[in-house]
Amino acid sequence: MQPGAHKGETTRAARHRDCATSIVRAHMEANPIVIDDTAGDVVVVVVEGEHDIYTAPTLRERLDASLDRGGGVVVDLTAATFVDSSVLGALLDARRRAHEAEQGFVVCIGDQVEPGVRRILDITGLVPVLPVVNGREEALAAARSDGKE
Amino acid sequence: MTAPPEVRLSMPARPESVGVVRQALSGIADALAFDEAVVSDMKMAVTEACTNVVVHAYGGEDGKLEVDMLAAEHGLTIAVRDEGTGIHPRPAIQKTPALGLGLPLIAALSDNFELRGSHGEGTEVRMSFTYTRDHDPADENPVQGTVGADGKWDPSATPPVG
Repeated sequence: MQPGAHKGETTRAARHRDCATSIVRAHMEANPIVIDDTAGDVVVVVVEGEHDIYTAPTLRERLDASLDRGGGVVVDLTAATFVDSSVLGALLDARRRAHEAEQGFVVCIGDQVEPGVRRILDITGLVPVLPVVNGREEALAAARSDGKE
Repeated sequence: MTAPPEVRLSMPARPESVGVVRQALSGIADALAFDEAVVSDMKMAVTEACTNVVVHAYGGEDGKLEVDMLAAEHGLTIAVRDEGTGIHPRPAIQKTPALGLGLPLIAALSDNFELRGSHGEGTEVRMSFTYTRDHDPADENPVQGTVGADGKWDPSATPPVG
């Protein structure tokens, strides 16, 4: 068995997996999730590109790390082009954790929202739930006041 | 005998496969005369169907994710299939907790939607999308409910007005 091969895996399956792994490595680089802590008391998690079940665990890690700092958290989806229900699940869990700890939690989008982001937020009715606001500055202000309610 | 599908993707049922299916679908949609809004809905619905296979079909074991795409005069039919243990509630893989929103989203975003399968025979989600639309399928099959206190989707809960 080759190093790194999964138990019982054929050579063809291992090659397929290696190929898929290199595709997704490139995918992750093209679709980053970055923590921006330059806003002081509120941490911004900046989500760019396409995100689904593959990147949702990374998003969860970034959200947990941001909440661990104890202040408010803003998730900036301005540069996101696609998010699915795995991403919504991560956002809703982070929101619940933030509320339990009385930390602010707000999602923001830009003026130009990609259909792959706008549509799922609209048809799930989650805009007022998460909540989702327009623009990072508004989100920062809302996250600061949200945690103090 | 039914005509063979125009495109068949067969991949490991793993999270990394879902984006690859979406990219393939984008390429096929570009070659057809789809409205932009339909392409967006199609990508979302197919992503949710593939995610269901990855999360629920094989209980964390290796398995196959198959996607057929068949173009016809009025639109594209997409079948997402697994060879898992069939339709019945199973715990999700722990690192990828499921919100339970996949099927309601597929119903809202597709022009036609059918779920086939039985215990021990795998599951197939078959969705159709017309190239252009004169109505929004989400108006006919809106996503009901909102997130409950347990973090799962509660179809009977009343969403806040906003």
